[in-house]
Amino acid sequence: MKFYYFHLMPYVMEHDEPSSWVTLSNRHYDPREGQRLYHEYLDQLEYAERLGWDGLCVNEHHQNCYGTMPSPNVMAAMLVRRTTRAKIAVLGNGLPLRENPLRIAEEIAMLDVASGGRVISGFVRGISAEYFSTGVNPTHSRERFYEAADLILRAWTEPGPFAFDGKFYRYHYVNPWPRPLQQPHPPVWCPSQGSSETVEWAAKRRFPYLMVFTPIARIAQIYREYREACERNGYTASPYQLSVNVPIVVAENDAKARAIAEKNVMWVFNTGLRMHPPFWRPPGYMTEASVRKMLENPPPLPSDLTFAQADAQGYIIHGSPATVRDKLRVFADELKAGIVCSGMNGGSHEATLEMMQLFAEEVMPHFREDASVDETAGVGRSVAAP
Amino acid sequence: MAAEAARHDLDVRGTPVQMLTGGAGSELLFLHGAGGGGRWLPFQARLAERFHVRCPSHPGHAGSPAAEWIEHISDLAFHYLDLLDALKLERVHLVGASFGGWIAAELAVMASSRLASLTLIDPVGIKVEGWIYPFLFGMDIPELVGTVFHNPMAALALAPPDQSPDTLALQYRQGTALARVSWNPYLYDPLLRRRLARITAPTLLCWGAHDRLAPLDPCGQAWAKEIPGARLRVFADSGHVPHLEEAEAVADAVIELCERAGGLA
Repeated sequence: MKFYYFHLMPYVMEHDEPSSWVTLSNRHYDPREGQRLYHEYLDQLEYAERLGWDGLCVNEHHQNCYGTMPSPNVMAAMLVRRTTRAKIAVLGNGLPLRENPLRIAEEIAMLDVASGGRVISGFVRGISAEYFSTGVNPTHSRERFYEAADLILRAWTEPGPFAFDGKFYRYHYVNPWPRPLQQPHPPVWCPSQGSSETVEWAAKRRFPYLMVFTPIARIAQIYREYREACERNGYTASPYQLSVNVPIVVAENDAKARAIAEKNVMWVFNTGLRMHPPFWRPPGYMTEASVRKMLENPPPLPSDLTFAQADAQGYIIHGSPATVRDKLRVFADELKAGIVCSGMNGGSHEATLEMMQLFAEEVMPHFREDASVDETAGVGRSVAAP
Repeated sequence: MAAEAARHDLDVRGTPVQMLTGGAGSELLFLHGAGGGGRWLPFQARLAERFHVRCPSHPGHAGSPAAEWIEHISDLAFHYLDLLDALKLERVHLVGASFGGWIAAELAVMASSRLASLTLIDPVGIKVEGWIYPFLFGMDIPELVGTVFHNPMAALALAPPDQSPDTLALQYRQGTALARVSWNPYLYDPLLRRRLARITAPTLLCWGAHDRLAPLDPCGQAWAKEIPGARLRVFADSGHVPHLEEAEAVADAVIELCERAGGLA
């Protein structure tokens, strides 16, 4: 199993406003505090590489205290020069949110060249609230996503210049300098919530699928759908096409880990993902079929999730090293996820570093049968290297 | 009291449409606002005492399925010109409320000669300096009601029958159809305002004195300035939807305009 360290870079705070997204006033953001946090968070990511993590993950969110990384490529750039071995996974760039998505092709290529080919490029639509922050019409989200993905992949793989005449994006000259170092292009991942349309789209292209903050039963179901879709497309999914983002809390004993999880991880759900209800459901972001599926079996709002529910449904892994190993076995052996992306939060910077070290020493070595395998070989590309 | 409404299923150049009709007399086409599709309310009933009233639901709203080809507000205006052609209606009295008023105005600047008269009830659709329309898509139900209605009891007429998956899925579909043409730019077409001068049909603007979505000052006054000869009537006890809040008075104002405008010939 491969381990990726995932950072949201939250601005942890308590507040009484109805939404941590879009409308939570940025007067709550103290830039001096922000400076301290950015450096702690980057230190944690750099430390993860030294401790043996295989990859470091950054991601894009806008106008909230949940994750203060509106440009993940900026953070990836900082990591490129301070790390030497780990993959740098941008999970991802919100394709439809860009008016000029060619810029993503350019920035990822810059990172790939500068890092010597360590970049993984996540393609996402951005979560619902992003459409309120950017002004992009959510009813165009899916079409823009597919079109931007097509543009970026062609920009990386077809010799330029060529013309591109899409519905949303039009260029007379597509010819980005630099082009990526990895061939045919950096691996593409699809972090997603499990809509049937995206599962099919990713499986067809061998793009790894990442489930973020999802109950374990739903992960199992979506993995099944993804594997079936791969078979329909004439191949068997590699374990490295199936990854999961689950927060992990490890401590010297179960009781201590539980207390930390209850406080720090639940902040992410209860406060970080507290959202004014309309921001969850912009019109047209989901297909009518997906909306119907969701309405017939509505998932709990993250802000309503209790620790007992999160625990029972496998939203979180917590415990002593032995307990965490057992829980991770479920992901490795039953779900057959090849990659686990996890962030950690010990409550303070020092406590987080200690937790990371404990995990690296007591948990990680038990899942290293595949230490010599390159998880990015043969996945994440719909076309073969030239 | 006019006859009950009858429901018709039409095919308008390949786009299926559900329409309510009632009454007898000159032809009157009513274009509903957001959430107003498929409803025959006292306003329509009053008009049906004098006119043959047709209330089609916009594609994606109420009983009319979504139409993928509709991507811009002008597509809806062309859709209603197609509907007039399909029904062989040379001229009609056209009434549009809110979002429906926007469509009606787009149609009027394209084909004013097809209109015996034009009534716009608190229309949106033009950019007005000094005003940004409050963003309804970001509001929950209490905020919506507070923005749209002066008399919140009037909102009951549009309340959904239940919270079943079917009802919620329909609301999502309606929101999607609306957002597709109005999310950004929000509730206006940058090209429309200058074109309003093309309208030659006798025009009445009905405005709720307490409209908080598109206030009389500056929105109603901007419309009155742009449409040649338009008359502006203000309804003192209404917000954004006077045809729901003061149905009789607004219907009577429409009737008066149509009588003044004369027949359809």
